Amino acid sequence: MSAAAHVRATGHGQGGPASKRIVVGYGFWLFLLSDIVMFSAFFAAWAVLARSTAGGPSGRDLFEPPRVAAETALLLASSFTCGLSALATRARSLVWTELALLATGLLGAAFLVLEAQEFAGLVARGAGPQRSAFLSAFFALVGCHGLHVAAGLLWLGTMMAQIPVKGFRATLERRMLCFNLFWHTLDIIWVGLFTVVYLLGAGA
Amino acid sequence: MTARDSLEATPRDRGDRAPGDAIEERGLVQGLAGYGLGLALAAGLTAAAFFVAAGHLVWGPAIPMALVTLAVAQMGVHLVFFLHLTSGPDNTNNALALAFGVLIVALVLGGSVWIMAHLNHLHPAMAQMMSMRR
Amino acid sequence: MLGKLTWEAVPWNQPIPLIAAALVLAAILGALAFVTATGRWTYLWREWITSVDHKRIGVMYVLLGLAMLLRGFIDAVMMRSQQALAVGHSAGYLPPEHYDQIFSAHGTIMILFGAMPLVVGLMNFVVPLQLGVRDVAFPTFNSTGFWLTAAGALLVNVSLVVGEFARTGWLPYPPLSETAYSPGVGVDYYLWAVQIAGLGSLINGINLTTTILKVRAPGMGYLRMPMFCWTALASSLLIIAAFPVLTATLAMLGLDRYAGFHFFTNEAGGNQMMFVNLVWAWGHPEVYILVLPAFGIFSEIFSTFSGKPLFGYRSMVAATLFICVVSFMVWLHHFFTMGGGGDVNAAFGIATSIIAVGTGVKVYNWIFTMYGGEVRFETPMLWALGFVFTFVIGGMTGVLLAVPPADFLLHNSLFLVAHFHNVIVGGVVFGVFAGIEYWFPKAFGFRLHERLGKAAFWLAFTGFWVTFTPLYALGLMGMTRRLQHVDVPEWRPWLYVSAAGVVILAAGALVQAAQLVVSIRRREALRDVTGDPWNGRSLEWSTPSPPPAFNFAVLPQVQGLDAHWRAKQADLAKPRYEPIATPRNTATGVVVGVFATLMGFAVIWHIWWLLAAGFVGAYATFVVFAWRDRDEDEIPAREVARIDRARLAGLRARETRA
Repeated sequence: MSAAAHVRATGHGQGGPASKRIVVGYGFWLFLLSDIVMFSAFFAAWAVLARSTAGGPSGRDLFEPPRVAAETALLLASSFTCGLSALATRARSLVWTELALLATGLLGAAFLVLEAQEFAGLVARGAGPQRSAFLSAFFALVGCHGLHVAAGLLWLGTMMAQIPVKGFRATLERRMLCFNLFWHTLDIIWVGLFTVVYLLGAGA
Repeated sequence: MTARDSLEATPRDRGDRAPGDAIEERGLVQGLAGYGLGLALAAGLTAAAFFVAAGHLVWGPAIPMALVTLAVAQMGVHLVFFLHLTSGPDNTNNALALAFGVLIVALVLGGSVWIMAHLNHLHPAMAQMMSMRR
Repeated sequence: MLGKLTWEAVPWNQPIPLIAAALVLAAILGALAFVTATGRWTYLWREWITSVDHKRIGVMYVLLGLAMLLRGFIDAVMMRSQQALAVGHSAGYLPPEHYDQIFSAHGTIMILFGAMPLVVGLMNFVVPLQLGVRDVAFPTFNSTGFWLTAAGALLVNVSLVVGEFARTGWLPYPPLSETAYSPGVGVDYYLWAVQIAGLGSLINGINLTTTILKVRAPGMGYLRMPMFCWTALASSLLIIAAFPVLTATLAMLGLDRYAGFHFFTNEAGGNQMMFVNLVWAWGHPEVYILVLPAFGIFSEIFSTFSGKPLFGYRSMVAATLFICVVSFMVWLHHFFTMGGGGDVNAAFGIATSIIAVGTGVKVYNWIFTMYGGEVRFETPMLWALGFVFTFVIGGMTGVLLAVPPADFLLHNSLFLVAHFHNVIVGGVVFGVFAGIEYWFPKAFGFRLHERLGKAAFWLAFTGFWVTFTPLYALGLMGMTRRLQHVDVPEWRPWLYVSAAGVVILAAGALVQAAQLVVSIRRREALRDVTGDPWNGRSLEWSTPSPPPAFNFAVLPQVQGLDAHWRAKQADLAKPRYEPIATPRNTATGVVVGVFATLMGFAVIWHIWWLLAAGFVGAYATFVVFAWRDRDEDEIPAREVARIDRARLAGLRARETRA
């Protein structure tokens, strides 16, 4: 890319205002970065409180690697199907877009079911968030991620209802772009979560 | 619905790209291959992480480092293959924004852990003091 | 049915809050009656409440900020008078439980509901005009952000009538803020008001950053942007970086209070210091969020009223970005005494001293801007000169406090209180008033009365120094902050002087209000016909006053820095008009604000069915908005041409004046 072309670029050069797709995508990207900062504050709290078990159970006593592996696989697969939905949108295929979105939603819902089961099991064993500071931090951090996934599913359902009715208009394409960014970022956060909280946390 | 957007002055963007957008000219097959490769790489790295954590692959004290490295690699795979983040000039704003976010995360996480570790060392909590006395 | 809410929540047996609440309600009802009597509801709804125009939203932000500034000032009057009266055997007139709520409300309101909306409002109004574009990146989002901030402000004020406010200070340190020691609803009011308003602020940060980076006039590269836009960018980046930390921290405290979690409790391993650490990781960037745009306002004013371009533009940009980044590396200086030890204290103390270098660069550049120019001492320039004097001294006391051993003596004394008021009032408040005086003609089409403006400045400047200089002395003598009763009689004369200063400040506030009233009465005589009353340098002065809805009939082609100044020297080109698409007004913002208020009130009083209903309502509003078919209206080219005639008339008027 020549220097002159770079200077003439829209948005980040002197080419005038960028198109709506770039503006919307970039703004949503900034929102996601702010969300990552919020997660890092919960992460920091968890890091500080990781040893404050108050005589109660620690990660080693509580975490089940097979469950975590299943959750990771489900979320990763849903990221893949989400990418497929982006391709289907570009190809303007309503059927494939809806199918890919449905697959994404089902995989995400399965992830949430496994996580809810884990939480319920912990509470039943007396290892709920009220037991110790470590458990409070764990439930808040992992629960925050789960809440984001749930919100994403709500958004997904709304879009799945809207696309057949309205068709592939520019506004919906932009929202699909935003949803893709959101869903992939959630998976990136989960990579950090399962590595540090579950895998490293179980070793502590 | 008007064709012209209220914020748009130029009909096409030159040298700029929305985050998450793949390059326009790629075909369907190339797109599928990209996502498939990303899935395969991420899955492989994830499996490696679980094996490392179980103690099968790496010398014990090096496990945390190995896990962190694998995690960073997985995040990289996501950014490149799923979010199409590149180092080209059309992605400068997107990459710089990410860099700013990473800086803030490092400051908040690293700073908090550093500060609280020093504090806990100088002023241990009650439970720690009890265990120290024994 | 109504959770914890009962009739006892209203302070029937406390005269002061009861009278205050009655006055506020009377004022609100009076305003509503006035609007109804003059038949202005349709106008208000269509032109202001559902507006997505950044100029309207900016004005509403400023009005909200001014109203809350007044409320915070009244809290301050009560605090100063109580301390002047309650020395030795006298008890004053405010019981401790009440005094604690007043100083907590004072800080919360001034920073989050006074200064933030004022600064954000000015950025909202000015930045798109200076960038030469039609609106911010996300107009409906902008409206939603405003109404969420208003919802938070409403909740804080409702606590005056129904329930109580927090007694923990403006940052609710645990364990005092935990349920065990604050079982009432006060901390909950604080938590939800700040969370809701914080969401509004985050929306603003995202909106302005996207606008400045992606939506600028053709030809406006980064180094051709006005300085105010650079500082707005730095401030907005800090908002995006810092507010999520506040959201998380307050959520943790909320989980402790509502769900029995143990983040910060005394038992089960909670760590109170972590709250202090995280909340100041937000709290320090917050003050730079406030002061950086004020620096930008002063950059504009110094160059305009010296008739010269800003000295050292590139070093100003560098200094701004330097301050932006380093402001995230100094937060421990708010808790040197917490006991982190020598290593962390030294590191953060050094970083705090280093950040002063950035501001030093700016101050020298402003001075060099004036040197060799034709300086005009009109009201905005007076505020700017008052700022340089006041802020530099306040900054110096800050560098004093940055030395940990000194801070061990001065932490939480009145010296600290004097320091931060010195920089916030001298920097942010002076900056906001300078900005209002400077851009008022652009917003409303007529100038403000000059002599009353100057009088208001001198009263504010004098009043500030008379109020806060004694506090520096008292702090050095050992007086701590937030005292409801004073045991040391030797401190009495200083407290009296400080109270006298507050009287001067109150006079300043009255004169400022008088300036507004008189200017509105005499607006025809003060009319601004050229659109450029100050002989300005940036693009907002090339529009008529007030600008049309679409700001610019044709987006300007920018050739260099100080774009409007360049254009004034060149010939007038004949513009080619095209139809303009404008975003449609929508009630989404105000409806979301209403549901946010309802949800906040519901969660404070544990009215769970109302919380669920509010959430459903908010989501339904989002779906309705997402489902609409048309999101833009089109203004035909002929209409654009007709409206643009006002701008051409202004150009001709400026020619004859020159």
